[in-house]
Amino acid sequence: MSRRKFMGLAGGALGMAAIASMGVAGWAANKLEIDPEALEYLENETDVLIIGGGMAGLFAAVKAHDAGAKTLMVSKGRLGSSGETPFAKGIFAYDPSTTEMSLDEFTDGVSRSAIGTNNPIYTRQMAEHSLDRVNELREWGFFDSALYNKSFSKPIEERNIDLLERIVITNLIKENGKICGAAGFSLDEEKVYIFKAKSVVLCTGAGGFKPNGFPICDLTHDGTIMAYNIGAKVTGKEWNDGHPGQATNSAACFDGWHGMFERVPSVESVGIRHDLGVDLNYMAYTNGNPVQMGPPGASESKKVVGGPYVPAEFSQRGPDKHDDGPKDGPKDGKHPRGGKPGEGGKDGEAGSPPGMGGVSVGGSSAGMAIHKSEGLVPINDKCESTIPGLFAAGDALGSYMAGAIYTQIGSSLAGSAVQGGIAGKAAAEYSADKKIPNISKTKIKEIKEEMLAPLHRTEGYSPAWVTQTLQGIMIPNFIIYIKKEGLLKAALAYIEELRDHHIPMLKAADLHELRLAHETVNMITTAEMKLKASILRTESRCSHYRLDYPETDKENWQAWINIFKGEDGRMKFEKQAFDSWPASGKPLEYI
Amino acid sequence: MGMIMENRIRLYNGIAAAAIFLGLPILFFVLGDFPERSILKNGLSLLTIIAFCMMLAQFYLARSNKNILKAHKMGKIVKYHKFIGYTFIAILFFHPFLIMLPRYFEAGVDPIDAFTTIITTFDSTGVILGIIAWCLMLVIGISSLIRNNMGMTYKTWRVFHGILSIAFLVIASWHVIDLGRHINSSMTIYIIILAGIGILLLLKTYFIKSSKPSGETK
Amino acid sequence: MSIESIDGCIGCGICVKTCPTDVIRMDPVTNKAIIKYPADCQICHLCRMYCPVDAITISPEKSIPVIVSWG
Repeated sequence: MSRRKFMGLAGGALGMAAIASMGVAGWAANKLEIDPEALEYLENETDVLIIGGGMAGLFAAVKAHDAGAKTLMVSKGRLGSSGETPFAKGIFAYDPSTTEMSLDEFTDGVSRSAIGTNNPIYTRQMAEHSLDRVNELREWGFFDSALYNKSFSKPIEERNIDLLERIVITNLIKENGKICGAAGFSLDEEKVYIFKAKSVVLCTGAGGFKPNGFPICDLTHDGTIMAYNIGAKVTGKEWNDGHPGQATNSAACFDGWHGMFERVPSVESVGIRHDLGVDLNYMAYTNGNPVQMGPPGASESKKVVGGPYVPAEFSQRGPDKHDDGPKDGPKDGKHPRGGKPGEGGKDGEAGSPPGMGGVSVGGSSAGMAIHKSEGLVPINDKCESTIPGLFAAGDALGSYMAGAIYTQIGSSLAGSAVQGGIAGKAAAEYSADKKIPNISKTKIKEIKEEMLAPLHRTEGYSPAWVTQTLQGIMIPNFIIYIKKEGLLKAALAYIEELRDHHIPMLKAADLHELRLAHETVNMITTAEMKLKASILRTESRCSHYRLDYPETDKENWQAWINIFKGEDGRMKFEKQAFDSWPASGKPLEYI
Repeated sequence: MGMIMENRIRLYNGIAAAAIFLGLPILFFVLGDFPERSILKNGLSLLTIIAFCMMLAQFYLARSNKNILKAHKMGKIVKYHKFIGYTFIAILFFHPFLIMLPRYFEAGVDPIDAFTTIITTFDSTGVILGIIAWCLMLVIGISSLIRNNMGMTYKTWRVFHGILSIAFLVIASWHVIDLGRHINSSMTIYIIILAGIGILLLLKTYFIKSSKPSGETK
Repeated sequence: MSIESIDGCIGCGICVKTCPTDVIRMDPVTNKAIIKYPADCQICHLCRMYCPVDAITISPEKSIPVIVSWG
C-alpha cells in the first residue's frame, strides 16, 4: 500500500467525496458536504471594489488606491495566478523614443486591420500609456520571473491594499439605479460575503466554455453576465478567438504551448497584424482533417477557396515571432495560408520539433472572443459602463481596443494594464463624493437565496454534466466558428433548453460545486448571447464568419452589437455605430 | 584459523551492512511507484536517502552493537563511525538547500522564496521536525569535532552523544516518514525497524547494564 | 490523468490558492494537499511551478476524452 493510498484511507470521507465529485452523473440525489444553513455571513465596506486579480485588477487596485480611495480587491483565484494573466508572456510597449510610427499612424493601422471594428480611442489610449505601465511592472519585478504572484503582490503589499482571495463573486448589487456592491462566497471557509462599495471595477476577464487546451477554465464570463443581470449593456459576443490546440492530448494546455508558460515575460514592439481569426477553422471545415501545419509553403498545395477576408496589407505574414503566450496562440498551427509557422517548442518537449507544428484541432479557446472585443459596453474613455459606478477593465470591458481581430502582439496584456489603471482612477474619482450605499435586507436575503440555491436542491443536474453538454452543443466547428443560420438556430434550441430547464435544476454538494454551478449558468447565458448575436450579424468580418453571408457588409454593419436585459427579462439587442458611444436607440428585434 | 574466521565474519558483516543500509534503500527507491523526475532531482533524492540511512547505520557502528561487531577492532569501528558521521552530516547539512537546487535550472518559484516558504510553514509538523532534527544533527557534528575541548569525561560524553543521537534519529525518522517524497510502506517499515533496534541497542547499554550491578547486590 | 500526485507535500497550501480551477484542497486530517477535484484540472502546471518543494506531478493526458471543434 503506498503512502498515497494510506492517506486516502485516512482521509476517509474526504476521499469518498473526491470520487463522488469525479463522476459526471446526469441525475443523482444531492449528497450535501456542507450545511448551507450554517454558512457564516460577513459584510465589508469599501470605496472601490476591484473584482479580479489579473493584470487589469492589479492596476485598478493600485491606481484607485493612489487616487485616495479605500480599495478592496477580491478574486476568485490568487493574485497573478488566475484568469489568463499568468500565461501571457508578451506585453506591448509603445516607446515614442524608439518607434518610428506615430501614435496616430499606429491607431490608423489597427483600424485598417480591424476593418473598422476597433474603437480608436481605446486603441490609442493603450499605446499611449503602455510604456508607463510596463515601466511600473519592471520596477515591481514582473520581468524577473515566469510566475507573477510575487511581482503583483509587491505594490499591493506596499500600499496595504486589502486583498481577499478565493472568493467567488456571484452577484453585482444595484439599487436606485446605481451600483452598490457585490456578493459572493468563499471557497475555503463556509462564508457568504456582502461587499458594500461606492464603485465597482470588474477585472474579471472574458471567458469560454471551459475549453480544453487553453488555460481559461476558470474564466466563464462571470463579470459580464453579472453586469448583464443588473442591466448593463454588453457587447462583442459574435466574435471568436480562433486559437487551435494540438490533436494529441488536446487538454494539456501546458504541453500544447511547448514550455511557454515557463518563460519570463518580454516586451513587444509595434507590429500590426490580423491574427487569431477563424481562417484555420475555415480550412478545416472545407478540407477536413488533418489540418497540419507544415514548413512555410507546404500548405500551398491545398489551396483554400473563400473563407475569412484578410486585408491585403496584413495578409503577408512576416517572419516575426508569434509568442505572446496564450493571448496569441500556440506558435505552431496558426498561419493557415502559406504563412510561416512560428518556431516550435524546445526539442523534446511534448510535441512538434522546431518549425513544424503538429496536427491541430480547433476550439482550444472556444467561447472566447478576441481580447477586449467582448464585455461591458463603455460609455466613455474612462472604462465606465452603462451603470453608474460600475467600471470594467481589460478583457471584461468591450472596449474594442484591438477590434474584432487581434492586431498587436502583447496589446492584450498592455491594454489590461492601461485600462485597469484608468478604470481604477476613474472609480476613485467617482467615489470621492459618494457615501457607502445601503443595501436593503430584502435584497441581501434575495441574493443569498439565489446564490446558495444549488446547495438546497436535493435533486437536479450536476454542473459538470451540464457544462459538458453545453460544450458538445457549442464547440463544434460548424456551430461557433463556421456559422450558418440554420445551425445557429438549432444550437440555440438546445441552449434554450439548458437555460429554461437545467439552470433551475443545477445542484451543488459543496462550495467547489457551487462555484461550478454559477459558472455553468454564466456560460449558458453567454452561449445564448453568442448564438443570437451571430444570427443577427448577417455579414462576415474579422473573427465572425458566416457561411451564408461571407461578405463584409459595409452598408448595414458598420456597427457593434450591444446586448442587454429588457424590462421583461428577455435578451435584447441594439446596434451601436462604430466610432460612437452608446445611445439609447430602438432595440433590434431578435426574431 | 581464528584470523581467517574473523576476516570472513568481518567480510560478511560488511556485505550485510552494505545490503541493509545501502542496498535496501536503493532497491526501495528503484522499485517504488514514484513519479519520473530528472536525473539531477533523482540523484539528489538518492543522495539524501543514502545519507539518512547512513545516519541509521551509525547506531550499528558503535559499542552498543558490540555483540555483532565482536570480530572487529573497536578502534576501526570508531574510525568508520567518525568518517561516516562527518561525511553524511556534511551532506545532510546541505539537504534543505539541495531541495532548492534544481529550481535554479527551471522556471517556477524563485528558489530563495521557496526556501523561505518551507522554513516558515510552521503549521507543518514535518517541517518543524526537520528543522529540529537539522539543528540536533549540527550539534552532534560540532560537539563531536570539539569533544576534547568540552571537558567532559568519556562517560558523560557517551551519554551526551547517545541521547542527542536518539533524539535526532527519532525526530529525523518522523520527519522523513511524514515528508519524504520517496516514502512508501516498505521504506516506512524499514526505517521504523532499523531506528527502533538501533535505539534499543543503545538504551540497553545505558540502562540494562547500569542497572545490573544494583540487581546483583539485591 | 492531468494532475497525478503530490509527493513530499509540506502543507504550505500555496498550490490550493494557486490552482485557477480549484482542483487541490488541504486534507484536514493530514494537513497536506490532496487532489480533490481532478476532473477540473486544466493542465496548466501553475501548482507545480509554485510548489516550494516541487511535489506535484502532472501528465498531459486527461481521463475523459475532451470536446474539440473537429477531429
